Amino acid sequence: MSSSEDLVLSVKGLTTNFYTYEGIVKALDSVELSLRRGDTMGIVGETGCGKSVTAKCILRLIEPPGRIDGGQILFSDRDPKTGETNEIDILQLAPEEMLTIRGNKIAIVFQDPATYPNPVFRIGAQIAEVVSLHQDLGREVLEIRIRELEDSVKNSASAEHQAKVREQIEHYVSMLENPPKPDKKYARKAAWAKAVDMLRLVRMPSPEQVANQYPHELSGGMRQRALIAMALACNPSILICDEATTALDVTVQAQVLNLLNELKKDIGASIMIITHDLGVVAETCNWVMVMYAGTTVESTSTKELFEHPVHPYTIGLITAIPKLHENKERLDQIQGTVPNLINPPTGCRFHPRCAFATEICSRERPSLEEVRPGHYVACHNPQGNV
Amino acid sequence: MWPAITRRGTYEEEHGMSQSETLVSLANLKKYFPLTGGVFRKIIGMVHAVDDVSLDIYRGETLGVVGESGCGKTTLGRTILRLLEPTDGTITFMGQDITHLKGSDLRNIRHEMQIVFQDPMASLDPRVTIKNTVGEPLLINGIARGPKLRAMVLDLLQKVGLTEDHLNRFPHEFSGGQRQRICIARALALNPKFVVMDEPTSSTDVSVQAQTLNLMKDLQDEFGLTYMFISHNLSVVKHMSDRLAVMYLGKIVELTPYDIFRKALHPYTFALVSAVPVPDPRFSGRAVLLKGEVPSPINPPIGCRFNPRCIFAQEICRTDEPPLRDVGDGHLVACHFAGELDFGKSSQMEYAQTAEAEAS
Repeated sequence: MSSSEDLVLSVKGLTTNFYTYEGIVKALDSVELSLRRGDTMGIVGETGCGKSVTAKCILRLIEPPGRIDGGQILFSDRDPKTGETNEIDILQLAPEEMLTIRGNKIAIVFQDPATYPNPVFRIGAQIAEVVSLHQDLGREVLEIRIRELEDSVKNSASAEHQAKVREQIEHYVSMLENPPKPDKKYARKAAWAKAVDMLRLVRMPSPEQVANQYPHELSGGMRQRALIAMALACNPSILICDEATTALDVTVQAQVLNLLNELKKDIGASIMIITHDLGVVAETCNWVMVMYAGTTVESTSTKELFEHPVHPYTIGLITAIPKLHENKERLDQIQGTVPNLINPPTGCRFHPRCAFATEICSRERPSLEEVRPGHYVACHNPQGNV
Repeated sequence: MWPAITRRGTYEEEHGMSQSETLVSLANLKKYFPLTGGVFRKIIGMVHAVDDVSLDIYRGETLGVVGESGCGKTTLGRTILRLLEPTDGTITFMGQDITHLKGSDLRNIRHEMQIVFQDPMASLDPRVTIKNTVGEPLLINGIARGPKLRAMVLDLLQKVGLTEDHLNRFPHEFSGGQRQRICIARALALNPKFVVMDEPTSSTDVSVQAQTLNLMKDLQDEFGLTYMFISHNLSVVKHMSDRLAVMYLGKIVELTPYDIFRKALHPYTFALVSAVPVPDPRFSGRAVLLKGEVPSPINPPIGCRFNPRCIFAQEICRTDEPPLRDVGDGHLVACHFAGELDFGKSSQMEYAQTAEAEAS
């Protein structure tokens, strides 16, 4: 994709291996990915195709026996005040520097809302922890103190006291532009207030009450909302949703997807949605990337993908879904199963299952090429209208 | 080849029977789970998992059951098979009341009905080979042993697309789709008439799901099976089923022989249908959003159970529970205003119409 576009994240040649006793699992092999600022991008693929591993690489959450063996993850960080951008390679950062990015600039919502929030802490405390870890709450603390003092002015009878408090308020207001480091007690209060605000942002009914509840008291959909609130608490540039709606019922899923669509307008973050459901992609994303066995096979706009799928795997994936309007006796199926990534097929990793495979497919790995404007495919024998 | 078949009559004989013959019949079936609390584990409430369900399943058909999690669809399937004891009501299987069967009578009837569970890894013993897993029902029921057992197991495995090499392997050596095939082979070992499929493809990928669904349809034709297909995935259920039951909070709200994507009469069915993501970006973002959460089945709402979330709810919905009534051609709906409500068009309907128009 051309460099003139405003990319917030660009992954180049990302290669990740897992060194297990059975052998080296080649989980990701030269994955290419670009996320434009303000876009919602979908990553689709079957189990074990490397969708989640890609997300974890971006956050540097790969743990041994896994290792990122090559590539670049370029994150372009834009300062909201000055509008300046600086580009950093996430893979070159020290672990301490990564702490300022993970959860702050790039946030993730994981798949299973039942296991992810810590069961022994209140929802509000968990969100507040993220806030106080990453944000300087000086300004918020001052605002809280000013509000408290204003209240005391209203309730106070003595004119002398009022004048004294007003003086204090003015002193605080003058510090607003350049707030000092807040003291602990007030910082905690401010973080909690921010947590309640975030719960309100994700349309949680009675947010003050929910902040005081434990995860087990909430339903799956509400828990997922709380997790989204936690991820958004630091106004991240990128929000990654790793199968965020897979464990939810369709009606709840519709609520969460609708929420994500609305939030995109409010927060201005770029969203990356990892899913195996093409329906979810069609509902929310404007760009989509299809992965197969650790490689990028197709990457294009959502509209283009559904109208003109080009890679045989993508075509198979689209036709394998039972359609609402058809009364077919049999579904079209992709033959065979996903390959073992310890010994992945040579050349194109899809060729043993591909109906259009020719001799070159087993020899040479196809590179990602632009077959139509804005439509990138890694295939020797692209199908359909190219 | 299979002595079990000849002993109980072959499929051809059954096939001669009328198609609309009732195989399973439920009358006012209820299953409540007691909720205990306090020091003495006193019963403090009841979870109304299945509440007053009446329905018939005809021979040779596939009855789909859909609903959100916690609506009681799995409990219904298990209660029909007597894996759970019903609280009230009767279950009639092949003309025989099996609600209170015990001992060898119950075991005999269990030949005829089997279940395939949701998670194939959890329902296969990791320390038993595939041959013994699939052969166990044959051995226990004294149908075969030794070389004959091996031959029969092999035959079953071949039916579901596995080979002789797989006989002595363990479950962990298989992929998710293959494991589900093994579970299906085991369910078919005793040549049952009725199989409950409890979310058989919810843990598999789309391409494997297509393979499994095709296999199930092939086996249904070959063995003349009757399926009860439980799932939360509406497009899969619609693809598999002849008739469809929609459950909400332990009750059937709609039972329809029609395509629910086109003809839904209950407001809940319509909301459920419209929430299914359409795999076409032209029709995205138009789901009818239900407000709130599913109420607790411990204290279900009075009147129509859907009334707190229903945009069409009237006074009568809050006081009177609507009966499941026939609105024509075996289309049953439990709504006071069935057929009178105008839901408008769902994006699913428009998608279907556009896709059809483009195809022709």
